[in-house]
Amino acid sequence: MRREKSENMEKEKNWISRFFSKKIKEKGIKGLLFIAAIFGILIIFSILFFLLIESYPLPTNIWDFLLGDKWNPAGSTPSYGTLPLIVGTLLVTLGAMVIAVPLSIGSAIFISEIATPRIRSIIKPAIELLAGIPSVVYGFFGLIMLTEFIEENMNPTYGHGETLLAGSIILGIMAIPTITTVAEDALNAVPKEYKEGSLAMGATRWQSISRVIVPSALSGITAAIILGIGRAVGETMAVLMVCGNAPIIPDPISNIFSPIRTLTSTLGIEPLEVAFGSPWYHALFGIAVLLLIITLIVNVSAVFILGKIKEKHMKSRKNKKKIIKFSEKTINHIKKYFRYIIILFLLVFSYNIIGLINTAILTLAYLLYRYISKLLSEKIKEKFAFSILSLSVSLVIGVLVIILYYIVSNGIGALSWEFISQPARDLGRQGGVLTAIIGTFYLVIGAIAISLPIGVGAGIYLIEYKKEGRITKIIRTAADLLNGTPSIVFGLFGLAFFVLYLNFGFSLIAGQITLAFMIIPTILRTTEEALRSVPQSIREGSLALGATKWETIRRVVLPPAAPGILTGAILGIGRAAGETAPIMLTAVTFSSIMPSSIFEPVNALPYHMFVLATSIPGEEAKIAAGGTALVLLLFVIGFYSVAIILRNRFKKKMKW
Amino acid sequence: MQSRNIILETKKLNLWYDDNHAIIDVNLKMKANKVTALIGPSGCGKSTLIRCFNRMNDVIEGCKIKGEVNFHKKNIYDPSIDPVEIRKNIGMVFQKPNPFPKTIYENIAYGPRVQGINDKKKLDSIVEKSLKDAALWEEVHDRLNDSAMGLSGGQQQRLCIARSLAIEPQIILMDEPCSALDPIATAKIEDLINELKNKYTVIIVTHNMQQAARISDYTAYMYLGKMIEYGDTKQIFEKPKEELTEKYITGRFG
Repeated sequence: MRREKSENMEKEKNWISRFFSKKIKEKGIKGLLFIAAIFGILIIFSILFFLLIESYPLPTNIWDFLLGDKWNPAGSTPSYGTLPLIVGTLLVTLGAMVIAVPLSIGSAIFISEIATPRIRSIIKPAIELLAGIPSVVYGFFGLIMLTEFIEENMNPTYGHGETLLAGSIILGIMAIPTITTVAEDALNAVPKEYKEGSLAMGATRWQSISRVIVPSALSGITAAIILGIGRAVGETMAVLMVCGNAPIIPDPISNIFSPIRTLTSTLGIEPLEVAFGSPWYHALFGIAVLLLIITLIVNVSAVFILGKIKEKHMKSRKNKKKIIKFSEKTINHIKKYFRYIIILFLLVFSYNIIGLINTAILTLAYLLYRYISKLLSEKIKEKFAFSILSLSVSLVIGVLVIILYYIVSNGIGALSWEFISQPARDLGRQGGVLTAIIGTFYLVIGAIAISLPIGVGAGIYLIEYKKEGRITKIIRTAADLLNGTPSIVFGLFGLAFFVLYLNFGFSLIAGQITLAFMIIPTILRTTEEALRSVPQSIREGSLALGATKWETIRRVVLPPAAPGILTGAILGIGRAAGETAPIMLTAVTFSSIMPSSIFEPVNALPYHMFVLATSIPGEEAKIAAGGTALVLLLFVIGFYSVAIILRNRFKKKMKW
Repeated sequence: MQSRNIILETKKLNLWYDDNHAIIDVNLKMKANKVTALIGPSGCGKSTLIRCFNRMNDVIEGCKIKGEVNFHKKNIYDPSIDPVEIRKNIGMVFQKPNPFPKTIYENIAYGPRVQGINDKKKLDSIVEKSLKDAALWEEVHDRLNDSAMGLSGGQQQRLCIARSLAIEPQIILMDEPCSALDPIATAKIEDLINELKNKYTVIIVTHNMQQAARISDYTAYMYLGKMIEYGDTKQIFEKPKEELTEKYITGRFG
């Protein structure tokens, strides 16, 4: 009897202690996940903080820094005016948008509204592939094809093909995937009831698209363009390779055959030449702050617009009261004048850029188009519009094919077993790329080992532990901003913090952490998506059986979400393997010596290729560069295709 | 039924979604200026069938149709027929009110505009007439330039009806137009349907049997993609010929 009782008591005690330890465990895990979640905010602030510290004191006052029209920090009387760099950045971004916006929007409309599922399943991965090509490979393509073509056929101002035009084209191609994907999402988010309603009124498909669907998706499309601008402003390696890098303002400003230099390429070229703590050094960090601020503004506005759309979709029924009420007449007047102002602006703008005669021709063509379109039937208009949309998609796919063809045909000759199994000799002109492959491998492994726990932890915290509210909003915004931060800014931060402040020196570890910071947002985002796709009822089922929160997450929620999370990890690996700018300032060296510890520098594939293509003279170096570009491309494409296949499988399986 | 009054007729209509045979051999004749109701349990194919009448199923991927739908004795699935032309003559109101995110005025003017009417005075008169016909004019005439999204659900649905009236169709298809509305809004729409049949032919899908009994002249009962019984509404509800129909009407299944 007594024994029984004591046994019972013991059981109870056990149960209590288990309960307590469980509770503590739960709390501990929640705490850890919270730390992971606020990491993004910490990174953003520490980047801003360190760049600001290192940029102080600026060698000149702020106005001379922003508006001075001469950037010559190495001269006998150094000058630190960043205006040419700012103008260069703006011009090349504008050029890129002129190319990317029509093609991307056209492609997005084609994919979401016109393409059959079969065609869509071909085009979408192709465009994702375009996003996956490393920027040095774009730069290399620009060097071997575009700049040479311009040099031979277009008679550029200083005789070299590295020009604003080349930069605009390459950047435009690079911005296409960003704009297309976001714009397509926006178009897909338009309720299908709108389309049905329009069709049921006897509108043609094109009328429904142009009058209902696109206007409804307009804010999303705007956000897509802004994100594209952010991508173009922040790009470093490709512009550095094809723009000529002369810090001059083109004369006249519309001279697309002039070389230019951007903010980013300055940061790509100069930090390694300057003495630590010199005025020049501070000026470079000043540029980094400027660049960071520009991209922050761009990204914040995109995030803001996209957030507004979400809100609108959630409470579309609510009657919003307008603060100021215009009468119908005033609105019509404003609309009318606004139109005239825009037309005037366009005319003045094009007059300055392309000259009087071209403007006149364009205007005439437009009027003619207006006149003819009135005569055409809706059927013919639809055919015309659809063929233009198909044309833009074909152009995008054509560009992808051309790039792949050039990279493969240029590199295939250099490729051999020796090339991937031997270290480089004679400055890379002989031998192979083994050390670069191993270096990239080390960098990527380290980066993923650091970023995976943080990114996944933050994702779990946001979805499972926190109700949607202010905190989740702030954390997500921080991740979005981090995602839009130019990679060269990460590089500069790594240089200031890990290499110099923590005194790691140029080292594997500095590169690994810098890359890790950069890919955390990718992993966070895909983790969130994967967790969201697990239905709430499953969690409730587990909780109702007496499982704790963490047990539920670990045993019921994470297993079905694992493939999705893995996809994020692979995308992160692909991105880390292709990045050059951040490791260029923190970790890499052009040598064939293997590191013996994490505090020694390494070589990496993209950097090896970059140096071969730009700094090593001789035909053999060009051939080796082609080979390295191909190896790099194969690696990155390999990662991305695995991720895409995995994701498609996952989507098919996950029909709850 | 006399054939000269027939405005819409299906002959051996079959429809598949991929491998799912959703409509099976449906033969149906519908009279002009009458209200025809399609009733049946959820998933019986009544919404699918009504979407065949203005070729809205063309939008759905993997949808295959065999058989004829004759509008004024012309098969609308004939390859030479443009679905856009069909939809100008056969309007549609959907289950969930789906006004465009535009102003009330622009919602109504949309149909005429896509058909090339851009004259402001003409549009004004079309908007006014359509809104009056849809019994909405009194409620909205002073805020035509407000967003249609700010209207109540019932008003939005009447706006959608007005919108389809603006293109002066011969037939108006209604796919459970009241299922998202409260009883008062429903009553208004039912009154409206009674008015509409003077000028238009109305075909309505509903799973509310009382509604079918109240507003329709003819009723068709569908079950599992087949047309079980079709006839005078009174006859269907009082003396159904088929056992299945009787079971459904008396609420023994469905």
